[in-house]
Amino acid sequence: MSGFPFDTLLIANRGEIALRIIRTAKRLGLKTAVVAHAADEGSPAVAAADRVVAITGKTGVAAYLDGAQIIAAARQVGAGAIHPGYGFLSENAGFARDVAAAGIAFVGPTAEAIELMGDKIRARAFVAERGFPVAPSAIEDDDPVTFLARATALGAPLLVKPSAGGGGKGMRIVRDIALLPQEIAQARREGERYFGDGRLYVERFVEQPRHIEVQVMGDAEGNVVHLFERECSTQRRFQKIVEETPSSALTAELRARICTAAAGIAQAARYRNAGTVEFIYGNGEFFFLEMNTRLQVEHPVTEMVTGIDLVEAQLRVAAGEPLPFTQAAIASRGHAIELRIYAESAARGFTPTTGTVLALRPPGGDGVRVDLGIAEKQRITTAFDPMLAKLIVHGADRPAAIARARRALADFALLGCETNIAFLDRLLAHPDFAAGAVHTGWLDAHPEIGAEPDINPEIRKRLAAIAALATQAVREEADAVPALHAAIGAWRN
Amino acid sequence: MRHAFDIGGTETEVWLSRDGAGYRLHGDAGEARIGLAAGRLDVDGVGEPVLVVLDGETIHVHLGGANYVLRHKDPARRFADEDDGGAGDAARAPMPGTVVRIDVAVGQPVALGDPLLVIESMKLETTIRAWHGGTVAALHVAPGQSFDRDALLVTLSAGGG
Repeated sequence: MSGFPFDTLLIANRGEIALRIIRTAKRLGLKTAVVAHAADEGSPAVAAADRVVAITGKTGVAAYLDGAQIIAAARQVGAGAIHPGYGFLSENAGFARDVAAAGIAFVGPTAEAIELMGDKIRARAFVAERGFPVAPSAIEDDDPVTFLARATALGAPLLVKPSAGGGGKGMRIVRDIALLPQEIAQARREGERYFGDGRLYVERFVEQPRHIEVQVMGDAEGNVVHLFERECSTQRRFQKIVEETPSSALTAELRARICTAAAGIAQAARYRNAGTVEFIYGNGEFFFLEMNTRLQVEHPVTEMVTGIDLVEAQLRVAAGEPLPFTQAAIASRGHAIELRIYAESAARGFTPTTGTVLALRPPGGDGVRVDLGIAEKQRITTAFDPMLAKLIVHGADRPAAIARARRALADFALLGCETNIAFLDRLLAHPDFAAGAVHTGWLDAHPEIGAEPDINPEIRKRLAAIAALATQAVREEADAVPALHAAIGAWRN
Repeated sequence: MRHAFDIGGTETEVWLSRDGAGYRLHGDAGEARIGLAAGRLDVDGVGEPVLVVLDGETIHVHLGGANYVLRHKDPARRFADEDDGGAGDAARAPMPGTVVRIDVAVGQPVALGDPLLVIESMKLETTIRAWHGGTVAALHVAPGQSFDRDALLVTLSAGGG
């Protein structure tokens, strides 16, 4: 008896988030089912779920985007609810509608809220009309003929974005206004390619901006709370790598203002379930960027400081229950940092890496959480996002959290596929990061952090020892030589 | 015979001799009395935990808070590789990805800078252009195909345009 109106939850996702959702669902007494493409055979989510339904597609990604197949899978296992995770179908209003029409609870917002916030231009207008701050901009749809002129009039620097975009895809910074026409053409091509929608908008680019977002949660009765902010300014090419809470950029007064604004925006949208309102912050001002109508990758830092399980709250709201907490009951304690473990080479410009997980020993201990998306023997390909795992740490304050994170990174053994683990440690050790003086362009301006330092002679000696001892041919040659000859020296070479 | 390993991009020659029940390390990285057993590396009597996984000629290591890849350079191939220089007039994949589109056909003459194919990695499209004028000698990939880093993409020959 779970107390939920459904007894089985289907997870329409993969990787670490599928496993993370399964964990909470199991704790709440729900049965779990997961859909899985063949490429995810052997993943920890597939191993942990009570039921696994195979899905197919031209590519792995296509399978997880196939709403009809997923709804059929839910019917097959008798799932009364579908959790979409993040990415894939999580912000697809049509899917949310189809799920509801099938009599299945969608663990997320209403299709209307997804539609509103998914159209970046409508969302922006909605937020601006209600008195919340947005950055100066030119929107192509307002008048396509004058779009270029209006964009040019804003003056450099500018940010060109696809209207239907997200996750940094197709975004371009323009510092030389003469390049605006060609950047617009390129962004349009990428928008068409990734989102099937070439419409654009251009907004003022805040130099050295900080990315600050606020976790919100609403229920069907119209209650909305915020769960404080997260700062995600450490990015490479608009992709977050490190997220933390609280933000070191905000005073208590600004924190209150930005969190209240986020809750206000969610309230105005009659927002239900978990969402994140993203802001750009610079020079003491913040502007609404967009609202993500789903659980975020970085939600665990919020869970670490508030002690609230956001997936549980999502499931309760999806079950029609009111929010299990009031605003006054939500407190933030200590400091939490999340590090995204990617299959990529920082030294080669963060290009993806591939391989097979030969050994995996994630760190543990007090204040350390690892949300894993991989298991030993699993093949890492470029078929999916390169994020393999998330390391989340909690400490009494920011320096304590950084120290704990560095210790945990050192303990993170992952062999068989090159990852960014060593790079993350160099990043945490950087004086700018320690000082909390990081903006979204910081990492791109410091490529030296990506470069791999030389191995010091002491480590080299130990690695050479391992190489020699682990290689049978090298050992056998030593074994074949009488000890006396070996003692004379290396004459025989 | 000496063996060489690629350790952090540097070729390191090593050999062993017996030292009582254990071994002694010799070569570029220095000398030491060493042992490796039960997840523990001993160097001159000081031990520390280590995780080692062998994968063909590649040795994966977690040691002292970091992950390393060591490559055994096969003695037979070690010097042959260096003669490989002029053989491949080809573009290799700078990173793993997928082929979006191919703009040329085998046998087609191309001029310096002509687009040959478009690949996609990390959500970004990159156009591979002719690095000299000539003829498309071979296409090693097809549209939609995914590839690993260093995979052959297209080969040019000097003739033609």
